Amino acid sequence: MRQSEWISLLASVIAGALLVLLGQNVLFLNVFAGWLAGPGMSLQDYLENASSPSFKLLWVGCMIALGIWYWHTFSRSTRSSTEVRRMRPRWWIAAGLLVLFGWLAQLSFTVFRWQVTGTSPLAGGGVTYYPVPALGWVLLLTVVVVDVVLLFWLPTVLASPRSHRFVVPGAVLLRGGR
Amino acid sequence: MTLFAIGVGGSGAKCVEALTHLHACGLIDRGSGGAGRRSLGTFLVDPDQQSALLLRAQTAISRYSDLRDAITDRSERFARGDIHDYGHWSPLSSSSGAVSLDQVFPKAILANQARGLAGLFDCLFPPEEQQADLEVGFRGRPPIGAAVMNRINLEQEAQTGQWQQMLADIESAAGNGEAPVIHLFGSVFGGTGASGVPSLGLLLKNWLREQNLSSVTVQASLLLPYFDFDGQGDGDTGVHAEARSFQLNTDAALQYLRASGPSCFDRVYLVGSDLKARFGFSIGGTSQSNAAHLVELLAALGAREQAPANTSGYAFVISRASQGRISWEDIPEDEVVGAALARGARFAVAWLNNLSLEIEAAQQVSMGTFLSGAPWARRFFSPSGAPTATSGGRPPIRDATELSLKTCIDRYAETLLQWLQQISSNVGSGFEQELFSPETLKRTSSPDNALHKVVRGKARPDRPEASDTVETIKIAMDGLPAAAISRVGMAGLADALWTLCA
Repeated sequence: MRQSEWISLLASVIAGALLVLLGQNVLFLNVFAGWLAGPGMSLQDYLENASSPSFKLLWVGCMIALGIWYWHTFSRSTRSSTEVRRMRPRWWIAAGLLVLFGWLAQLSFTVFRWQVTGTSPLAGGGVTYYPVPALGWVLLLTVVVVDVVLLFWLPTVLASPRSHRFVVPGAVLLRGGR
Repeated sequence: MTLFAIGVGGSGAKCVEALTHLHACGLIDRGSGGAGRRSLGTFLVDPDQQSALLLRAQTAISRYSDLRDAITDRSERFARGDIHDYGHWSPLSSSSGAVSLDQVFPKAILANQARGLAGLFDCLFPPEEQQADLEVGFRGRPPIGAAVMNRINLEQEAQTGQWQQMLADIESAAGNGEAPVIHLFGSVFGGTGASGVPSLGLLLKNWLREQNLSSVTVQASLLLPYFDFDGQGDGDTGVHAEARSFQLNTDAALQYLRASGPSCFDRVYLVGSDLKARFGFSIGGTSQSNAAHLVELLAALGAREQAPANTSGYAFVISRASQGRISWEDIPEDEVVGAALARGARFAVAWLNNLSLEIEAAQQVSMGTFLSGAPWARRFFSPSGAPTATSGGRPPIRDATELSLKTCIDRYAETLLQWLQQISSNVGSGFEQELFSPETLKRTSSPDNALHKVVRGKARPDRPEASDTVETIKIAMDGLPAAAISRVGMAGLADALWTLCA
């Protein structure tokens, strides 16, 4: 792997971590507060107990997937371009599973966790889930997709090693013009 | 400087075939430190126009020649040596359609006009030799060949036909201040070579003397017995070569060489083998398809040799260190020759069994799809699949001219691979070679990756087995700095592969 690819990989991982672990909550609090806070819901409390843990879990999942991708593409010996391209469906499967995993994490921390224990996350009691409005759900599920793009697609498209440099969707367009 | 190679007879043709491959591997060009030879002229002499050996040599020459014509100056290092094919000439062609000795020397006329000569003719040649059809060669009988060959009038031949162009080029090269070398190849134990090589050497030396071309050197690689026949001819085959005569023919040829050698050649290289390869018996023609042999490679390497200016040597021989094995250490100038042949073998395997198949696969999908699995391809071909202003001269991968060049490279690489496979597998019983792995020198239908087994011994590149693959080469191509890729298209790809196969 070239030096520029190592730098791209490191930069995209650090940028992704900063955005997901820190920047996202700032955005939710200051830009999308009205979309996420349902009736009787403390947004601060929701971010601390549901949103942040679920996105941290997604981050960990993305880092594990990234590690597996790099280990596999580094160690895999290919004889032809056809063999290299066989990695593309696997990449799509990995990305799809990460999105599903992210959505499930949101559902778990916002709804399932409370319903399983039978407790209410709201201060005054009531419903056994965070009553996130519909628009909030759309936002959360979209942010999961954006996070997978930042945490998995970006590092893999910028720095997939050896013969697999262009196998990630968009890589030819992004890096093939040289 | 130009090397003019003349192959006489079947073994001579096989040596010219070997020399063509050495030339393709860059071994005739001695670089700035040597005489700087770049051009090879080839000329094949054989009365047997149907000879499979002649056809094979012609195939190698024409395929390399086609490759050179297609690649022109579009490569920096790959296939840079020029070749000029002067074609094939039969010594019977100057005998007005005669196909037997009694037609070459019309016996009826001799009997009428020179009864004594007719008697001498009968005394020298028994009836079966007089009437034998010579269109399949001189049937392992040097006296028949010598009688026909000595009728050649080179002065007359220089006015027309295949000799004309070559002799004119020799004159021209000598006139340009070069020191051209004429190198003859042939066996001394058969019929055509044993009679033709000394006869032609003598004729050429005399012709050069008459033309005052003192800068031209005439040398020869003479093949001593290195094979036996598995079977033998019967009554139906008429006069034919016999393995038991090989030693007798050789003794006679060496005696002649000892007495008259310097009048035929300035220098000779003698090579043979005590451990014989086994070839099936053939009277000649299309059935004579003896596989290529290491001895022919060694004979061809003689044309590379440059004797010191003040050398007193005339006849040079070669030997091996181990009785039952030949390795790179036994090859003259093995560092250079080994590296060049190893590169040629690795190139042929990598090209035919991988990159050529990749280019074919690229014709089935869009360029974008192909590039997603082949990042290296964008270095040589337009990434958009069409010639654009931003492609920097890179042609489309489907360009007809590029595909035509690919066909030329495929055809030559296949010929080279087949020759390498034969010289490394056809060594004779009880004899081993430590040069190449013959089982890897074969064309495969699906892409192959491994290169580490292709070359054996000290010429094998010093790389870990796991990284000695075509994939590693492709990755290296992808990462080459722009300045290292001065040529694009199919020629640029072959050039980069040639460089990285070293």
